[in-house]
Amino acid sequence: MPEHHPLEPASPWVEVVATEADWDAADPHLLRTIYAQLVWIRTFEQYVLELAAGGLIHGPAHSSIGQEGGAVGSVLALTSDDSVNGSHRGHHQFLAKALHHVEPKGLDPLEAPSEQVREVLLKTLAEICGLDRGWSHGRGGSMHLQWKEAGAMGTNAIVGGGVPQAAGFAWSHRHSGGDAVSVTYFGDGAVNIGSTLETMNLAGAWSLPVCFFIENNRYAVSTSVDEATAEPRLSARGLGFNIASWKVDGMDPLAVHLAMTEAVEHMRRGRGPTVVEVDTYRFFHQNGGFAGSAFGYRDKDEERAWRERDPLTQTAAHLQRRGIMTADETAAAVAAAKAVMEEIGRELVEPLPGGKPGQRQIRPGEWPDPDWVDVGVRGDLSEFDAARVVDPTGFAVPVQETKFIDAVAAVMGRRMETDPGIVVMGEDVHRLNGGTNGATRGLPDRFPGRILGTPISENAFAGLAGGIALDGRCTPVVEFMYADFMWVAADQLFNQIGKARHMYGGESGVPLVLRSKVAMGTGYGSQHSMDPAGVFATNPGWRIVAPSTPYDYVGLMNAALTCQDPVVVLEHVDLYGSSGPGPIDDLDYVLPVGKAAIRRPGNDVTVLTYLGMVPFVLEAVEEFGQVDAEVIDLRWLDRASIDWELIEQSITRTNQVLIAEQGAVGTSYGGWLADEIHRRFFDLLDAPVRRVTGAEASPSISKVLERAAIAQKDEVIAELAEIARY
Amino acid sequence: MPTVLRMPEVAANATDAVLADWLVAENAEFSATDAIATVETEKAVVDVEAEDAGIVIKTLVAPGSQVEVGAPIAVLGAVGETVDDLDAVLAALGVAVATAPVLPERRDVPEQATPVVEEVAAAPTRRLFASPLARKIAKDAGLPIDDLPGTGPRGRILRRDVERALAARTEPVPAPVAETRAVLAPTHDAPASEIPHTRLRRAIASRLTESKQTAPHFYVRATVRADALVALRAEVNDGDVKVSVNDLVVKAVAAAHRAVPEMNVVWTPDAVRTFDTVDVAVAVATDRGLVTPVLRDVTSLPVSEVAARVRDLAARARDGRLKQDELEGGTISVTNLGMYGVEEFAAIINPPHAAILAVGAVRDEPVVEDGAVVPGKRMTVTLSVDHRPVDGVVAARWLAALTDLWEPRVRFVGCGRGLLHRPTDEAPGASAT
Repeated sequence: MPEHHPLEPASPWVEVVATEADWDAADPHLLRTIYAQLVWIRTFEQYVLELAAGGLIHGPAHSSIGQEGGAVGSVLALTSDDSVNGSHRGHHQFLAKALHHVEPKGLDPLEAPSEQVREVLLKTLAEICGLDRGWSHGRGGSMHLQWKEAGAMGTNAIVGGGVPQAAGFAWSHRHSGGDAVSVTYFGDGAVNIGSTLETMNLAGAWSLPVCFFIENNRYAVSTSVDEATAEPRLSARGLGFNIASWKVDGMDPLAVHLAMTEAVEHMRRGRGPTVVEVDTYRFFHQNGGFAGSAFGYRDKDEERAWRERDPLTQTAAHLQRRGIMTADETAAAVAAAKAVMEEIGRELVEPLPGGKPGQRQIRPGEWPDPDWVDVGVRGDLSEFDAARVVDPTGFAVPVQETKFIDAVAAVMGRRMETDPGIVVMGEDVHRLNGGTNGATRGLPDRFPGRILGTPISENAFAGLAGGIALDGRCTPVVEFMYADFMWVAADQLFNQIGKARHMYGGESGVPLVLRSKVAMGTGYGSQHSMDPAGVFATNPGWRIVAPSTPYDYVGLMNAALTCQDPVVVLEHVDLYGSSGPGPIDDLDYVLPVGKAAIRRPGNDVTVLTYLGMVPFVLEAVEEFGQVDAEVIDLRWLDRASIDWELIEQSITRTNQVLIAEQGAVGTSYGGWLADEIHRRFFDLLDAPVRRVTGAEASPSISKVLERAAIAQKDEVIAELAEIARY
Repeated sequence: MPTVLRMPEVAANATDAVLADWLVAENAEFSATDAIATVETEKAVVDVEAEDAGIVIKTLVAPGSQVEVGAPIAVLGAVGETVDDLDAVLAALGVAVATAPVLPERRDVPEQATPVVEEVAAAPTRRLFASPLARKIAKDAGLPIDDLPGTGPRGRILRRDVERALAARTEPVPAPVAETRAVLAPTHDAPASEIPHTRLRRAIASRLTESKQTAPHFYVRATVRADALVALRAEVNDGDVKVSVNDLVVKAVAAAHRAVPEMNVVWTPDAVRTFDTVDVAVAVATDRGLVTPVLRDVTSLPVSEVAARVRDLAARARDGRLKQDELEGGTISVTNLGMYGVEEFAAIINPPHAAILAVGAVRDEPVVEDGAVVPGKRMTVTLSVDHRPVDGVVAARWLAALTDLWEPRVRFVGCGRGLLHRPTDEAPGASAT
């Protein structure tokens, strides 16, 4: 018979309940501010639903009516230095944070709103309507509300998608030396998704000052929390990651404030992350102005019971009970707020000409300019104005034969030396004498706390880096041991990091460098051998560099670290062990964005290639000998940075194009490029664009099958022979 | 035994047509008169009907392919017939390979001194393969590439083929496009936009160019009293029938043709063809361009019916729903710009017609009647005539017959409203002579 020793979670897990004595003890000014915030948020959202019912909101209007107590109670425990982000249901948190930012000393429910408060309400309403005056010029709308100045870092339409970024804000706060904290709001739906749980683990491991604030409103759309998990006491999630956890009644704003004050104190003292779960309820369905009972997943009795505990009426009752406000005054506050919202609304909407009474339309002048559709997908590169950008042709600094991998570690060390904000993270980058390939050799000792070995959770640490980039004070460098792992982190890379600048208005940068290793040919098989260039090139926001020599690596990495856009630096494992020209002692030059290099001049065909395929193409041209190919090493692969000028000059002479790459045909890079060349340069072409790619299959473990799946010299020669036939 | 279905000549003198769609799938059976395929010409969509019941064994061209008239488009069999070795059947029927009919022949064979002139003439309508660059160089140099040998994949004409031809060009060449442009240079900087030619626009251009170049035009013109015509129209339109001046002119033209049958002709290379019935084409302006549907046997139709049919044809012309056979035949067209206030104009004959009557506006003018100037209505009509089948005196007699028909009173429709509705052969020609 074995012995059984009871085990306990290492962190405390408590429920905080506010007593009447707590309400009696609360500062009247705090209670007036709580009430004022509740009234503004409630009135604002009711106005949004009114517009939605009139067809003036394009897309969903996810109201948080009923849930204001959690947002207001928690935000009032923060300062403007603290960050918050949230989910698709985030009007209340955003407004609470923004109002608290413009009125840090508190709001009074009986005072007319200041100009700043009006501006917050107007810009938020405009954003939700998709109008130019919104925070993000209407690009983000209801689900992407961001005002970084106020510490509102952006709400998010991917469930759990914003959680890893909040850990990044927390990392930046701690790295910058203050005691600011980060709060990420999400619901009972997001508590079960990987990015949330991965981030809890990462935040616990790194003891980051981030609060996982769970608004348990009991329903993920129509799926109840009891159906979705066997542990519906959601704050219990924190215990699995050794995170101190609180549970509190979200309909009681004071109780939330008391619990949040404890949690914030815990984080400011450097004790690591926190979980705060509030029990709350959205009075309406997922979106729009109908009750959930109308859709059959809950009943009216349940809704009535929750409505009786409405945070507004509870707060008003306490204010009246304590004689802080009369019933007339609490009612007057609501009426005044409604009048203000009507006024603000009239700036954006007008009676529909020729319509029925009450029919309204958006004022035509308020829409964003459609020509603006692509503006700000990436930045304007003005950050390079002050950089030491060198001539892209030849060598701008003295070079000598250099081992590729040494250049990788050398330039990163040099940049970390000059920029204390650079932080490198990835699996095993802090061990094994520079990670699995030596790319960070010598750096952990030189830069303690800035070469971070991560748990195996690409989505969490890529997203954490995304948060650091959004914050903007530091520059994260993420290493993916294998490019294929991008699929694990796909939400963060493509939905979050790649879209963030544009989606939030196009003005603020996302300076992040992803070092993605391309390991085809190493025998690691179907799930470790892809070339990600095609996937990055066909998703918005990213810039892509593909260095094929040590000299290029240094110049392109410096460009990537200068750039305010996310840049993926492709590193081919074949090249790591190779040698080529590299700088002797100058590691500070920057290769210009958008400049390719002619590796071999020629007149018969323009071969466009990159990364590990460059040496194979050069060998093939020499060996075959019958075609005078011009070989262009693209260096920059994304749609915005590709060197059209050089490509056009070359095609004007050769009238023929071959795009050569190694990877599988399906996700290959050259498809979009061939399309673009045909459309741009049709009249220069004497033949259709030819392509060399790998097979359809992912490369296999078996050496011969792997070789058959990857394009190398022989495949290029075969295509050159076709060209020679005509 | 399987048979070959060939691209029919759905439009007169068409060298090619587009196989728009297959209505009977491969291996599906059809009955006699079933539509097997639709074929699209420049102006119309035509059903290809089966002569007998059978089965589609194999289609040889894909929908959307442009195919030469007479080229094989499908292999048909008797009902229930199956084929084991399709290639053998195709070979036996003299059809090379399934895709052959839409592909050009390789052009890398040196030009032969063969007398097959007609085939060469047909060549430009075939799909020609040339690289974009080759086309551009040739166009800039004013070099037609239709007969260039192509040395690229599948006989594609490449840059070097064009350059070789340019180097070999010793004879005087037509003025290159560039020179023509130079003449027009002052307009080049002006803001402009270009609308690529539609098939209809190309058809109009080529047919009218052909007409002006091959049919020697001459013109006869008359200004005639229109009081009776206008009065009749007003009387008719008093009821529920709506008739235009143009409908009355169409009717009168038919009557004039009866009176002067030498005008009811078309020119063919070997003979002048004279018709028994009078078919008159009516010019209809559409958004896409001009089309000329034909009214059959106009002399047999009451004016109300002429009006109704013209309205129907015009409406369907605007919708692009005319059938090919409604666009063919006739010996004369009527075109009318009177509604735009055009007093008179001369039109280009719509081939293969022998004439076209251009009708101007009815205008109020002082006229001399019994020695006194009185208010009257007059209109000018101009007849363009193909001199090959018709001499001047015939045209003059025809014009006199036409004007006699409505001056001083309208004699080609009878006088009462009742006659307007009764489909009778009024034989107005008899009264006109």
